[in-house]
Amino acid sequence: MVADPILYVALPLLTAFLLPIIGKINKELIRIVPGLLFAFLVYNSIALFSKVSATHTPIIVEIAGWAPPIGINLVYSSFTGFIATIISVLALLVWAYSYKFKKLEFDNSLKYFVLLMLVTAGSIGVILTGDLFNQFVFLEIVALSSYPLVAFYRGRNGAEASFKYLLVGGFASLSILLGIVLIYSQLGTLNMADIAAHIDEMPRNIKIVSFTLLFLGFAIEAEMFPLNGWAPDTYSQAPGPIGAVFAGMTAKAGIYALIRMIYTIFDFSGAFEILLIMGVITLVVSEGIALRQENLKRMLAYSSLGQMGLLMIAFGINTKTAVIAGMLILFNHAVIKSLLFLSSSFLVYNSKDKLIKDAYGMGKKLPLTAILFGIGAFAIVGLPPFSGFWGKLYLLMASADANLLGLIALILAVSVIEIVYYFRVVNGVYFKKSKTEIEVHKPRWNASLAMIILAAAIIVVGIYPNIIYDYLVNAADTLLDKASYISHVLPNLASN
Amino acid sequence: MTEELMQQILKISFYGASLALILIGLYGVLTKKNLIKILLSMAIAESGLNLLFVAIGYIMNGTAPIFSTAVLDENNQLLETVTMVDPIPQALVLTAIVIGLGVTAVGLALVIRLYKHHNTINIDEIRNLKW
Amino acid sequence: MKRIITILLLGVTGYFVADAVFSIPFGVDKLNIAKEYLLNSPEELKVANTVTAVVVNFRGFDTLGEVTVLFLAATGLGSILFRRRKYHTGLNPQREAPQASRIVQVGGKLLFPLILLLGAYVFIHGHLTPGGGFQGGVIIATGYLLLLVSFRKFAVKHSSLTWVEAVAGVTFAGIGLTGLVFGKDFLENFLPTGVLNSLLSGGIVGIIYVAVGFKVASELTGILDTMLSIKVEVDEENEEN
Repeated sequence: MVADPILYVALPLLTAFLLPIIGKINKELIRIVPGLLFAFLVYNSIALFSKVSATHTPIIVEIAGWAPPIGINLVYSSFTGFIATIISVLALLVWAYSYKFKKLEFDNSLKYFVLLMLVTAGSIGVILTGDLFNQFVFLEIVALSSYPLVAFYRGRNGAEASFKYLLVGGFASLSILLGIVLIYSQLGTLNMADIAAHIDEMPRNIKIVSFTLLFLGFAIEAEMFPLNGWAPDTYSQAPGPIGAVFAGMTAKAGIYALIRMIYTIFDFSGAFEILLIMGVITLVVSEGIALRQENLKRMLAYSSLGQMGLLMIAFGINTKTAVIAGMLILFNHAVIKSLLFLSSSFLVYNSKDKLIKDAYGMGKKLPLTAILFGIGAFAIVGLPPFSGFWGKLYLLMASADANLLGLIALILAVSVIEIVYYFRVVNGVYFKKSKTEIEVHKPRWNASLAMIILAAAIIVVGIYPNIIYDYLVNAADTLLDKASYISHVLPNLASN
Repeated sequence: MTEELMQQILKISFYGASLALILIGLYGVLTKKNLIKILLSMAIAESGLNLLFVAIGYIMNGTAPIFSTAVLDENNQLLETVTMVDPIPQALVLTAIVIGLGVTAVGLALVIRLYKHHNTINIDEIRNLKW
Repeated sequence: MKRIITILLLGVTGYFVADAVFSIPFGVDKLNIAKEYLLNSPEELKVANTVTAVVVNFRGFDTLGEVTVLFLAATGLGSILFRRRKYHTGLNPQREAPQASRIVQVGGKLLFPLILLLGAYVFIHGHLTPGGGFQGGVIIATGYLLLLVSFRKFAVKHSSLTWVEAVAGVTFAGIGLTGLVFGKDFLENFLPTGVLNSLLSGGIVGIIYVAVGFKVASELTGILDTMLSIKVEVDEENEEN
């Protein structure tokens, strides 16, 4: 079978266009075909990623037969490929989890799966593309598929959260587009490698303004404080599995765009400090707010923002250890947070307000889900032997190497806060009696399977981190080596 | 001399108008209470941005970048007197317009939903939208 | 008070952005990549309209994304506004306002085919003259809008819209993938390019733009029809997840 990075984007779009017709043939196919597609994307990831890891050279795909910088290109390197692999595996698991989701009727499930496929394709597109404007287009695909997903249920809050997101997202796209316009006006090119190679030709004032605009826009998508007021609402209003999609895919697309911009496109060294400081603020504020949440999903959402803060810190330190830590946290956030969103969705399935105390006593009624949630909670806090431990350990090591002793203290203090509020939930789930009688909804076997796979990944990586460590080192090397990115995309640059 | 003067006038009017549109749009987004007006303000800011992009691609005395028979000689070569403006901003603005349209359409649909729930499109009376 | 803060904020932002924008020279030749486009569009692709060549070929991937955005807008609109099929009959319960006047009705009927013709002309000649799939598609959608406003009972058949949408979208993505089958890149031209400035020039560019035209026309008509025939069931509280 063929494997090509272009299929990550082309096939989901093709399937999404076809799905309404497929649904006319047989309604069951609406649920099955997206699964086949996601399975193929996982296969595609494995085939391509093993190839890239073996050869250590990125796969550059030209589109429409024009070599970059004339045409648009995709870059599948150890770094982008790693994130794309996580996203495609996650998409398959979310599909398995929402297959036969109770609230999906025919018409709904068609739209749900179309949106799910497009949000996946968009997120992977943001990560693979080597063209700044193309990245903007994919970010808009991600945004436009997220708005309906947030408002998917009829409730009034869904529409409000979605509208809020739309306003902020609209501002983000304006800001990004203005940044792109300013860059184009100076360099006459949109290819990232080409921009990076000529960035020093830009006048300083235009460079600063366009950097600020792009940073602002991508920071909104990456959920950086104080631009993340919309995020908790969207996480808590969207259908259960979509929380996992937001944490694992769209937030990753945003942070990737931010990282690519800071590491590759621009040459401001101060940008790393800004990212670091904003990350610290995001971390502290989000975890502080998470401590006070009564609503389980909002608590998870704020904790997710805290993890994004950790990611920004890791990538802001800008050393090899720190980038490895960042990749580990990125992996952990995608896997653990998805597990938490998926399992918590069953803990408060029939509760109206999704309060933490509604999940009390679920340890006996839903033993498997409760255990899976417990694994997720222990893992995200950073306890051994779960994978979350390694992310935090490497981050602490990186901070120590960089002589940021205050940061070490801060991360440890925040971990204590995390322990407090996660243990409150786990304690409640196992040892408190539920006061109200809420009907329990048992997960189907497919949903359980999806959650068990995530939990298994957490434990396996926690015990044997070496199975992904080499890939992470490769990915970190690829990200930090700006010159080789440029020379791989534009091999003729030196000769011209 | 007149050529340069013309260029300056055009520069100030195009750049100035597009910046003014962007700022007016942002002002509307930040201060208006009516949800539809907020969406319209966003569309105004977007069109300002599109105008700016097209203006940046302009070259003095340039024609549309179309190789029609009017600008070609008998060997299908471009006449030497013809300059063509930059085609990329025009193509990208087309994309930006379509994306803006998509966002506006989804936004209006959400406004309809909100109106059904609250019987108002005033942002102050819709609880969770204030933050 | 809030206004003053807003104006101050915008003033500061505006100052920095204006400072950057006004230092961009206006009207001078600063082409870089665009030079390649202006060279290759008539030479290699035989597409007279360079903007079309950029939209459909050089940056065709963007356009695929753009078409997806429209598709998403139509899907999202449906997902936001409708819950169950049975509530959607195509007839608008709210449109009980009096019928449009006779003049509008007759005029609408008269203009409709001409508008369709103009739209089709614009997207078929997208590689030769200004315009193309998006513009032509929008023109066709305005034709349907005219009918929707002049006739209260006019309804667009949703199943045919679905088919047009799907076939057009699949044509675009499918032509792109066919390039891979021929051992070329995604969206790379694999057809003979013909002679510059003739209707059958440009290889796949013309075909894709026609597909885009159909796609845009059907999506926009669908959006307009959805917006005009809204019926939201406010049965929420018990429906929240």
